[in-house]
Amino acid sequence: MSTERDVIISARKLKKSFGTGDNQQTIFENLDLDIYRGDFTIIMGSSGAGKSTLMYSLSGMDRPTAGTVHFAGKEITKCTDDRLAVFRRKHCGFVFQQIYLLEKMSLMDNVLTAGALGGSSRKELIRRAGELFDMVNIPEITRKKFSSQVSGGEAQRAGIVRAVINKPEVVFADEPTGALNSHNSAAVLNIFTRLHNEGQSIIMVTHDKRTALRGNRVLYIRDGQIFGECDLGKYEADNAEREAKLNSFLTEMGW
Amino acid sequence: MSKISTQVIHNLKKDKGSFVSFGLIVLFTAFMLNLALVLAFQVDEAYDKQFDALNAAAVNLYIPEMQDDASLSARLNAIDGVSMVEARQAVYAEAVVRDFRGTDFDMNTVFYNMEDERSINRLEMRQVADDPQEPAIFLPMYVANFGEFAIGDQIVYQVNGSENAFTVAGVAEEMQYGNYGKGMMGAWLSGSAYRDFRAANEMQTIVEYALVADKSASPEQIRQEAADILAERGISLLAMNDCASTKNTRTMVCGLLILILIAFACVILLVSVFLSKFRISNAIEDEMVSIGVLKAMGYTGGMIIASLVVPYMLVTAVCAALGVALSYAVLPLLADFLTMQSGFSFAPVFDLAALACAVLIPLGIVLVFTVSAAGRIRKIQPISAIRGTSDGKASGSNPLPLENTRFSTGLRLILKQMLAGKKQNALLFLVSFVLTVLVAFSGTLFYNAVIKPENFMSTLSEETPDIIFVTKAADLEHLNDALRSDEDVQSVLNYTTANVNLGSSAVTAFVCEDFSRTTNDLCYLGRNPQEKGGIALGSAFEAQYNIGDAVTIESGDKTCTYQVTGFIQSVNYQGAVCGLTTEGYEALCGKIAMPSLYVYLKEGASAEAVISRYESGHAELLLKSIDSQKMARTTREMYMGICAALIAVIFLITILIVLFILYIVIRSLLVRRKQELGIMKAMGYTSGQLMLQTAGSFLPVTIAGVLLSAALGMVYMPRINQIIFSSVGAVRNHLEVSFAFLMLFAAVLIALHFAISICLTLPIRKISAYALIKE
Repeated sequence: MSTERDVIISARKLKKSFGTGDNQQTIFENLDLDIYRGDFTIIMGSSGAGKSTLMYSLSGMDRPTAGTVHFAGKEITKCTDDRLAVFRRKHCGFVFQQIYLLEKMSLMDNVLTAGALGGSSRKELIRRAGELFDMVNIPEITRKKFSSQVSGGEAQRAGIVRAVINKPEVVFADEPTGALNSHNSAAVLNIFTRLHNEGQSIIMVTHDKRTALRGNRVLYIRDGQIFGECDLGKYEADNAEREAKLNSFLTEMGW
Repeated sequence: MSKISTQVIHNLKKDKGSFVSFGLIVLFTAFMLNLALVLAFQVDEAYDKQFDALNAAAVNLYIPEMQDDASLSARLNAIDGVSMVEARQAVYAEAVVRDFRGTDFDMNTVFYNMEDERSINRLEMRQVADDPQEPAIFLPMYVANFGEFAIGDQIVYQVNGSENAFTVAGVAEEMQYGNYGKGMMGAWLSGSAYRDFRAANEMQTIVEYALVADKSASPEQIRQEAADILAERGISLLAMNDCASTKNTRTMVCGLLILILIAFACVILLVSVFLSKFRISNAIEDEMVSIGVLKAMGYTGGMIIASLVVPYMLVTAVCAALGVALSYAVLPLLADFLTMQSGFSFAPVFDLAALACAVLIPLGIVLVFTVSAAGRIRKIQPISAIRGTSDGKASGSNPLPLENTRFSTGLRLILKQMLAGKKQNALLFLVSFVLTVLVAFSGTLFYNAVIKPENFMSTLSEETPDIIFVTKAADLEHLNDALRSDEDVQSVLNYTTANVNLGSSAVTAFVCEDFSRTTNDLCYLGRNPQEKGGIALGSAFEAQYNIGDAVTIESGDKTCTYQVTGFIQSVNYQGAVCGLTTEGYEALCGKIAMPSLYVYLKEGASAEAVISRYESGHAELLLKSIDSQKMARTTREMYMGICAALIAVIFLITILIVLFILYIVIRSLLVRRKQELGIMKAMGYTSGQLMLQTAGSFLPVTIAGVLLSAALGMVYMPRINQIIFSSVGAVRNHLEVSFAFLMLFAAVLIALHFAISICLTLPIRKISAYALIKE
């Protein structure tokens, strides 16, 4: 079923290892994986399994040791650093656990700094930033504040706005709720769900089951391989059937 | 100390590159400071020591031999403060030294008999020929070294129209003349050579009275009394020199060198202390959490301050000591140059006082600045520091919000980045401003010595024609007529240099038929004399006379009173000059015995060819001919060489300072902004964009500092030139400060800043977004 869908990222014989010689540690090897357009893909696994490493290899943020990654039809594994940077600005948006807003800029300036690379006119950019801030429920007065002056939830929501300001093909989120309380986590996840519902492709790394429920496809990484995957279907709040399916899958995976 | 040693070592290791850079700046400072201090402490002492060793006279008088009086010696010995007098026969001639450093050099020379016994003004032989060839001559060090004459070489003195060739048999160090700053030199001939030379120049035999004074006596007072004695007896004073003015003349370049070195050292020291302050302030901000943790662990504010300050003190102490050591490698070269220029040998030795100053001064200043910069650590509350709420970062206003700023994104980000670093801006502004002062100074010298050399030449020299022909008075009109009808000649001017006396001072008189026709107006105050009763006095007399005063000029037993019309300058004669009209001079001395004709050639005409033509075609009219064009060219080339070397050194220093400063600033910035740069890369900014943004963020403040300093250079450079050139006797300098040239140098400096910044931001390429995430 899946193979007929539009593949946006395709990884083949992917290998990632650290160190050399006897100290070499292989995170994954001969890994094949397709990511489909419009999916909210969740990557799960135990600590140190290589979830984030896989996600950053797929996004061009990190270079695999071997293998290829085709992103939107283009092989990115052989690109130079600068070509990858240009590639990222057009195709990727990133949301980090630590948020990583630019400290000396307001939330709005953080978004516009990223938006400036997208090629939109200044007016259009400011309009879209405003809409996105409205969507994530950050009022105008807060947009002018620095990240150190707002709550973690507000900062992460601004981080999401920054990630999507250039309408990337895929948003990569690395445990975006890892540093947030449950209230702020829910708010952030609602935004991801909304983005997904609007057609945004998302890849998210998490080890939180509640977060994983937001995705429609869950991949489990173990022993350097995609050990299993689960198709959860469209997210619906309080859907016990989906939750049970995920629980069963995770149990099967040895979670 | 042991309690903080771990922290000290940690701080040193953590920022090795910045400490190396800071250390190199301190090394430069101490290097120059020690050079200046060793010269300041030792040259004076070495000079006085050699003066005493050779029993040099405090005052030397030169009178015509025919007017000598047997009782004069005893009378001079009776002057209060004079302890010893020695009379010696000699020949005093206005000579031209052929092939002196490749040109003919006008040099008033006193020729002595080497066989004469001398207890005053003794000579110390530096080199002696094994097998001296007659006619033999012993040259003073200045003539031998500067004129490039070696043992066995032939040296030709043209005196009264005849060529006198001697073979160099020795080089002597003497403390009577030294260099040509006083307009006279000595030369010592072998017995037979002296007798022949004296016989050929009977009319110019003189007696020199050398007066040794007690330490407490005033040379000026002795000089005055001696002049009065000669005047009482109706004895002409041909020339007189005293040890104080001779010493001033001989050590003037050394003094200037000391001043320049100290000025450079101060500038670099200023930069280094601001740098240390900047680094410590940044370190406090970067290490705020660590400071909080250390305080929480029980470290006191004083201990943490010490852990930050001690590395700077250690680096300063070590590098200052290295700079001092390095200076001793260069001092012999500097001493050689000063020996050649001043005519006395100076061998620098290790100087503990200079070492102490060169190390302790930078140490003290760095200590004050670093402690003041680190002082705020005492007030930091540990919990605030740990929570990151005490550094005030990312608070306050958001300069140039991107949504409201009407610039391109790149420019907006550059400006935002620039506005975020106030201390860094202050440091870069200061460095840019100060370095532009140095570059503007050397650039102005370069412009006036290389692009417009006539400005430099007219400031440092007197009237400079293309050719000087010296003739007998009777032949003057014939030669004048011949020259005026010559197709190569533009104009001819009667202009003669003569010796007269004003009070106790021997004065060089510039005698001219019409000063308005001169090409280099020496007058800086009032006007040149236009009538026979007028006189323009040299700058050396400005303090004693005013315009309109009457002054009495003596020549032999004749006197004449003139009214001061203005003041003129002369670097070569230290301002001891005067300007008289030909009529005015003849009222004092009668017809000029050997008048000179200053010949100005048409564009493209060769002075050498014209001289050759006249020496062969009109030999009977000429006593002496000087190729001033060639002499001026040689001098100009020398000045060009010096200025080119100066500008090269200043540019090298500038490049190194810019490099060190920017290294520290950029390194600090890259460490502080590593995360930010990683985030920007994750967003899609390329290394090139980030490098341009970073280097570009320094540009506005650099441009402001450089342009402001360059523009102010139009105001301060003439003042700096005035101060420097006045100190060597050029009260009015002809140096131009070219706005276009200053702007050109400013542009070069800005480009240099930018190029170095770009090179230093190359490590941005290695900052990976992924590494940030892994951290």
